[in-house]
Amino acid sequence: MPASGSPSSIGDDFGLGFQLPGTGTVDEQGRRRVHPITPLVHGASAMPIGIFIVIVMGIGSGAAFGLAGAALFVVAFVVLPVVVAGWSYLVWRNLWYWFDADGDFRVDSGVVTKQERRVQLSRLQSVDVAQPLIARLFSMAELTVEVAGAEGSKLKLQFLTLEDARALRATILARAAGLRHDTTEAPEAAITAVAPRDLAVSLLLRSSTAFLLLLSIAILTVSFLTGGIGGLLVALVTGGIPILMVVSEFIKYFNFTVSESPDGLRLRFGLAKTEARTVPPGRVQAIEYVEPLLWRRQGWVRVRVNIAGMGGQDRQGNKEETLLLPVGTMDVAHAVVARVFPDVDVEALEWRPAPRRSRRRSFIQWSRLAVAWDDTVLAARSGRVTRRVSVIPHARTQSVRLTQGPWERSLQLASMHVDTTPGPVKVSALHLDASFADQVAHEQVTRALHARAADRSTRWAADEPPDDQA
Amino acid sequence: MTDKVNTAFTSEDPWTPVSPKLVTARRITLALAYVLVVAGIVILVVADRVPTWVPVAVAVAAVVVFEWLWWLIGRRVRSFGYSERGDDLLVTSGIMFRRLVIVPYGRMQLVDVKAGPIDRWFGITTVQLHTAAATTDASIPGLLPDVAADLRDRLARRGEQRSAGL
Repeated sequence: MPASGSPSSIGDDFGLGFQLPGTGTVDEQGRRRVHPITPLVHGASAMPIGIFIVIVMGIGSGAAFGLAGAALFVVAFVVLPVVVAGWSYLVWRNLWYWFDADGDFRVDSGVVTKQERRVQLSRLQSVDVAQPLIARLFSMAELTVEVAGAEGSKLKLQFLTLEDARALRATILARAAGLRHDTTEAPEAAITAVAPRDLAVSLLLRSSTAFLLLLSIAILTVSFLTGGIGGLLVALVTGGIPILMVVSEFIKYFNFTVSESPDGLRLRFGLAKTEARTVPPGRVQAIEYVEPLLWRRQGWVRVRVNIAGMGGQDRQGNKEETLLLPVGTMDVAHAVVARVFPDVDVEALEWRPAPRRSRRRSFIQWSRLAVAWDDTVLAARSGRVTRRVSVIPHARTQSVRLTQGPWERSLQLASMHVDTTPGPVKVSALHLDASFADQVAHEQVTRALHARAADRSTRWAADEPPDDQA
Repeated sequence: MTDKVNTAFTSEDPWTPVSPKLVTARRITLALAYVLVVAGIVILVVADRVPTWVPVAVAVAAVVVFEWLWWLIGRRVRSFGYSERGDDLLVTSGIMFRRLVIVPYGRMQLVDVKAGPIDRWFGITTVQLHTAAATTDASIPGLLPDVAADLRDRLARRGEQRSAGL
């Protein structure tokens, strides 16, 4: 058997009837290397650092460029990438991945210190394929594997071609789900994609952005008229912040695509780094429709979501996705939400509004304040300028709270809150009649109890990690 | 136990009040905090940088606030109550801002028993419940240690029996 060079047909399938994806070299035991141009990609990734160093030094030294500048240039654009590429080559030579006889995914690596990693597929939490910017230029992708219980330690395989990465991901998922056969990537049925133009316009029209932009224009005008320069700087700050926010969110959610797959809802987005996230239906805790004033004309709405942390991730929520849909029409939003809350029809809910006297407590939004429930979910409505509807299934209710401030008490009102896991969505029914709120709260606890007993949706896959952290 | 809990929210089951020692403990804490205020006033007087009426006004205001807080602590402590029901625990508190939390046993993740130095001196503890939600606000202060330990054990047992997935 050839130890390197062309792929071998015998070592590939481990006698189990499927191919280990990858176009890297294969050795006689069927282990694979990642793609051979990986060192090139790493070397190319080092170049922006060089550019940055040159710029910094250039600004620092000013005119004295000459010989020192040329030397710096050589270091930044030649020496640094070559060194990085050379190290990456050594890493590449020592990096192998394969499935072993027990069915675990194994990765051996290390130039100086050898490391053997074994991924027990029964404890698999997630497999993601992502394309960092430089890698995308080479059509390469990286595979990230996360395991339950290993806090924060992810296995990263750099780089494979995009197709190979996806195929490997599909194979790992299929083997984890207990199917031992050759499989293509779980078929995705695209539900919707957000057009870049819509995304850009929607971000500019968000209330906070619009307000800050208007404010900076106002400050600019005032400072122009009065001839002061302090106002100019302030305007730069108040204007710069929303522009920065818009740009960063645009980059993050560029080309947001939602597709349905057997693993759950799959979200793809990103300009600099395309990310793919899978949202298993059982993990969604609560969702919220947000409709800012300036989006009303287009009929646009944003869907935010609380997703429960999976086993090994920390509570900081740094990898938790908070958006199910950055912008879309109401129909699109309902279609997306229907995938995570299947038996829910938000439009058909019977709203129980807050009494008229709540106008004295909250005269802007009082007419919108209401609560509604059916057999599956409870929903709360609020907001006049920015309309919000939050929805939580009974089975996902954590605790239920009633609050009553002094102003509410004088009007015999109270607010009811259904607590959910940390996230952007809060389910609060504000300023309802006090005894009604009391009644709804107690009823909700009962509904939650029955729903929990009947809940099977957390067992959506064949294997559930043993330490199911509640 | 007699129903001495002053709460806006109803419950068919009786509320269990917390120990009156909490009142004393909280009042002592208030007094200790006021030591700083008094020190501040003394410094103002000694430094002699501001007209005399300033420290006098501050002193008067401080005394008024002190009296009000002293009285308020008594009322607040009497508003704390809890009720163990079949499937959940109710905790109520607050005079100005009233609160009622209903925590199902199956949702309890963690039950803490805590006591700061002043609480320990008076022999009371606080039982705190945690669910997966950060906003669950179920804290019962002013419980005698054996009461707190019994409560914690009962809650933990019930929590385990009914524990649900996320």
